[in-house]
Amino acid sequence: MTRDEIRDIILEIIEDIDEDAEFDDLDADQPLRDQLDLDSMDFLDIVMELRKRYKLQIPEEDYPELATLTSCVNYLEPKLQDV
Amino acid sequence: MADYQLIIIGGGLSGLAAGIRSARFGQKTLIVEQHSLPGGLNSYYYRQGYLLETGLHAMTNFAAQGNKHAPLNRLFRQLKLSRKKFITHEQLGSEVIFPQTSLRFSNDFTLLCEEIACQFPASIDQFRAMAAEIDAYNPFAEVPWQSARNFLHDRLADPLLEDMLLLPLMVYGNAEEYDMDLGQFAIMFRAVFLEGFFRPQGTIKDLIDMLLEQYSQFEGEIRFRTPVAEILKKENKVQGIRLENGEEITANAVLSTVGIPGTAKLSGWELDIDRYIGRMTFMESISMLPEPQLPPELSGRTILFYSLNDELKYHCPASALDPSWGVICFPDNFQDLATEDKTATQVRVTNAANYSLWQQAAVDKEQYRQLKEKCGQQSAAAVSQILGPYNQDAVFQDSFTPMTIERFTEKRGGAVYGSPIKIKSGRTPFENLFIAGTDQGYLGIVGAMLSGVTVVNQHLLG
Ligand SMILES: Cc1cc2nc3c(=O)[nH]c(=O)nc-3n(C[C@H](O)[C@H](O)[C@H](O)COP(=O)(O)OP(=O)(O)OC[C@H]3O[C@@H](n4cnc5c(N)ncnc54)[C@H](O)[C@@H]3O)c2cc1C
Repeated sequence: MTRDEIRDIILEIIEDIDEDAEFDDLDADQPLRDQLDLDSMDFLDIVMELRKRYKLQIPEEDYPELATLTSCVNYLEPKLQDV
Repeated sequence: MADYQLIIIGGGLSGLAAGIRSARFGQKTLIVEQHSLPGGLNSYYYRQGYLLETGLHAMTNFAAQGNKHAPLNRLFRQLKLSRKKFITHEQLGSEVIFPQTSLRFSNDFTLLCEEIACQFPASIDQFRAMAAEIDAYNPFAEVPWQSARNFLHDRLADPLLEDMLLLPLMVYGNAEEYDMDLGQFAIMFRAVFLEGFFRPQGTIKDLIDMLLEQYSQFEGEIRFRTPVAEILKKENKVQGIRLENGEEITANAVLSTVGIPGTAKLSGWELDIDRYIGRMTFMESISMLPEPQLPPELSGRTILFYSLNDELKYHCPASALDPSWGVICFPDNFQDLATEDKTATQVRVTNAANYSLWQQAAVDKEQYRQLKEKCGQQSAAAVSQILGPYNQDAVFQDSFTPMTIERFTEKRGGAVYGSPIKIKSGRTPFENLFIAGTDQGYLGIVGAMLSGVTVVNQHLLG
């Protein structure tokens, strides 16, 4: 998957989790949680959804890697390169 | 390989929410429910052409759509249900009525503050400070039991105000007698006073159908009329369940929503069972009134919490029923409810009852019927002191007792709020057997669903 595709997948998952999500002013380098007003339960859902879709196991110690949109893409790029 | 990744015992609100959460991420999940209908304590039945709800007075934890951190909206996100499409009707307003004074409250917290400022001017500043303290308190931390009464008294130092605040919070969510755990008090204070009451559009059946639909969307399976007879174990691990008809089903983990005593009985979990059987149980009388004549100052109220004594008697009564305090609910009095096709107004009255005395009477059908009738009259007489002779031309009356609650939900002793000792972690002595629902500590409809979600998130998304 390309970086753009990964980015779209992440946004799609977030949209799926939160019907009120607004991406217009989203800054890819700022924490997603604060900008989208998500909590840890929502965050778990992003991880679970990635697991369901791509059989990706993300260990808890790696959760900080998912903080911003850019860091998500950086973290997932090698893991999803063959998808 | 086991037949299922997760088996959930009980198709009440906690079981359904847990099921959705588990199935959502592709786990093979089975719910087994002993009755032919889902919903557990908050289900429905048909009588004389009316669809009657077994439990619903109001849902707690009202939150407007868009308020992302509110428990109700978090719950919807967790279940992947659309909060936008879920239509709610907020309460019109409720009131706590004691002999000397009364306090009105609504989903706007300022009303309660104004009422307290007016009736208890010496305590209003302390009350506001206390509300802020409760708002910041973490009720989910696993800390030792603390007395809510002491907490209130230290801050307000006015026994009448303390009891008036405790009445709605205790009767809607306290399994203990006399006092209440501070964490439970904080949960209920937020759910009732800071967030407030509402009804879903339609009936509880619509809400339950929405949950069932979502669960099957995620390919979760549910079996009705399927009582579990035993939780099967090997050493410290649970292997699955055996049904009453002898069939065995295996699973990687089991989640029980049937309470601590019920789970202990099914699993052979050794504990001092009497400590886990609550003593607070209730009788509820439902009347349908064609043209209710209510005192004008009370008409349009949603829920009245009354005490005919200055002191709140939140404990198991010495007689079969204690009508001296209770709840009077008008399920039609919510905002924007269509009333055109209503031929009668419903009134529901809840009073504390003594399980043992009902159990004794229930050995004989006629004796039980007489007790039901007598207690119904006592309740109506007490309520008439507040409402006037409200139910003289009722077209239909029905009631349920501690025995009904026990029979339909297996809650030992008819204890609606389950065990006075909760297990917040959801753990049992068996490493892959967990509990959710009433005995995990979250109460009420929204609470039960949150409990199902939380326990699955913590232990069962492995
Ligand atoms: C009269 C009354 C009024 C209420 N009013 C309100 C209200 O207005 N607002 C509010 O928020 N809350 C109200 N409640 C409380 C609320 O209904 C409960 O807190 C909540 O529904 C509990 O859900 P639960 O899933 O924990 O338990 P339950 O609903 O008890 O679910 C347990 C399920 O397990 C099933 N079961 C038990 N044993 C077995 C077995 N061996 N095999 C298979 N299945 C089994 C039972 O049949 C049941 O369906 C009321 C309760 C009552 C009784």
